[in-house]
Amino acid sequence: MGEATSYRLVCRPADHVLFRFNDWTITATDFLGMAHQLASELPGATHVVNLCHDRLHFALGLAAALLRGQVSLLTSDRSPERLRALQEDYPVLYSLSDDQAVSSPLPHHYYRAQPPRPCADGPGNPELPASRLAAIVFTSGSTGEPVGHKKPWGALVERSLDAAACFDMLEAQPASIVGMVPPQHMYGFETTVLLPLHAPASTWCGAAFYPEDVASALRAVPAPRVLVTTPLQIRALLQTSTELPPIERVISATAPLFPEIAAAAEQRLNTRVFEIFGATEVGSIASRRTVDGDIWTTYPQVHIREDQADAVVEGPFAVPHALTDVVEMLDARHFRLLGRRADLIKLAGRRASLAELNRILIGIEGVRDGQFVAPDDLDRRPTARLLVFVVAPERSADEIMAELRGQIDPPFLPRRVILVDELPRNEVGKLTDQALGALQARQNEV
Amino acid sequence: MTTDTRATTEHEVAQLLVDALHLEMTAGEIRPEEPLFGEGLGLDSIDALEIALAISRTYGFELRSEEGRAHRVFASLRNLTRYIDTHRTR
Repeated sequence: MGEATSYRLVCRPADHVLFRFNDWTITATDFLGMAHQLASELPGATHVVNLCHDRLHFALGLAAALLRGQVSLLTSDRSPERLRALQEDYPVLYSLSDDQAVSSPLPHHYYRAQPPRPCADGPGNPELPASRLAAIVFTSGSTGEPVGHKKPWGALVERSLDAAACFDMLEAQPASIVGMVPPQHMYGFETTVLLPLHAPASTWCGAAFYPEDVASALRAVPAPRVLVTTPLQIRALLQTSTELPPIERVISATAPLFPEIAAAAEQRLNTRVFEIFGATEVGSIASRRTVDGDIWTTYPQVHIREDQADAVVEGPFAVPHALTDVVEMLDARHFRLLGRRADLIKLAGRRASLAELNRILIGIEGVRDGQFVAPDDLDRRPTARLLVFVVAPERSADEIMAELRGQIDPPFLPRRVILVDELPRNEVGKLTDQALGALQARQNEV
Repeated sequence: MTTDTRATTEHEVAQLLVDALHLEMTAGEIRPEEPLFGEGLGLDSIDALEIALAISRTYGFELRSEEGRAHRVFASLRNLTRYIDTHRTR
């Protein structure tokens, strides 16, 4: 390892497989040739929103943008409003997608890969400065104002090498990664797109969302297989009768994985289940084997510095950032998670703040008072969603729902909007958990 | 591959959605042409997994992504019903 000042676009032997797409096996040479071809077709711009669903198209879009000196923007919110908002901040912007039906208000480039062609004199594989801004990844906010986080090329490469070391990918036979997380999500971006560019691994590129998709994907790739997934998808896998081929390792992130589920998965799939801890701001920074307990080990080059109440994450070339979680450091490389700071809630791998959601609610015309409430079992019950209490005498629950729908991410839409005469605020205007609990209990009786 | 001559009705699929997701509405309130994701009913990808499990339990087949896209089958209740009708094994 160690820090260089520049890194090649691809650091794999020429004939090693990076991606598997339909029946194609894309070697390092193929990938570079395809990236140069795409780079020559891309419009001139400073930034590109990479909306590609397929991982091969996404990865080629990233590589081609790097070859052209363009910065890739990664956003999970692909609504026209969001894309227009991005254009305000990055005026020389276009969108890249592999979906002909996409509705983008930006100048748009449609791309689908052609089968790789033999390349006579070997395509260029440039050294890119470690400090070069490769991507800006946006948090999936609830407010319409997601924050972008800058990812220098060197930070992405060093973190991939860290991940590979952490998951024993450097010594062993190249791993086959099957990912169930979108490439625009920081976790999916790191583990399914960046890893194969620099570590001995290949990524399978078809759809892998439903258990049956995953089964055929796993069958299509050689061992050792690594499944990159989420707690909800692990739970779904455990509930189907679908037979899966041997899996060397399951990696989970986006939400806490309960030890009972991890143990059940280890037994049923005859595998080892690991979790990655990370966030959009800082990327993947630590891992643990869930059944071994609640202690996390940081990636080799990641350092967590305690700065008063904050835990600041540092790594080679990475922009230092404080965690939104509270941690207890046990020693330089081990910590426990004590919980989330403030009022953050997580659903479908996205984050929202209850305070922000409440601000949106109160901003709706005719709403005098209102409060989003997260049920206690939000982390454990997949069908659990928020609910809303609102004081709005002149408006209906449906109208309020329609207003919310235009302003917040679908996972955070309440399942119910409950109109009440007033909220049980105490003398200082605060809504206590107790008072809200009582209000909820009364609703459930009705 | 319908081994059953009974046609799948939009109402029974709507009821499956309401039951699987604990929706706060009746089956009759889901409009057949309305998108289930995003705009219309506002379902999300977590819901899609739950629905897939419910479909596999009730109709005996596993949902798959179509043409690389996971949620195309959820275009509308009508679409989903048609899909179930052609794939169900019970």
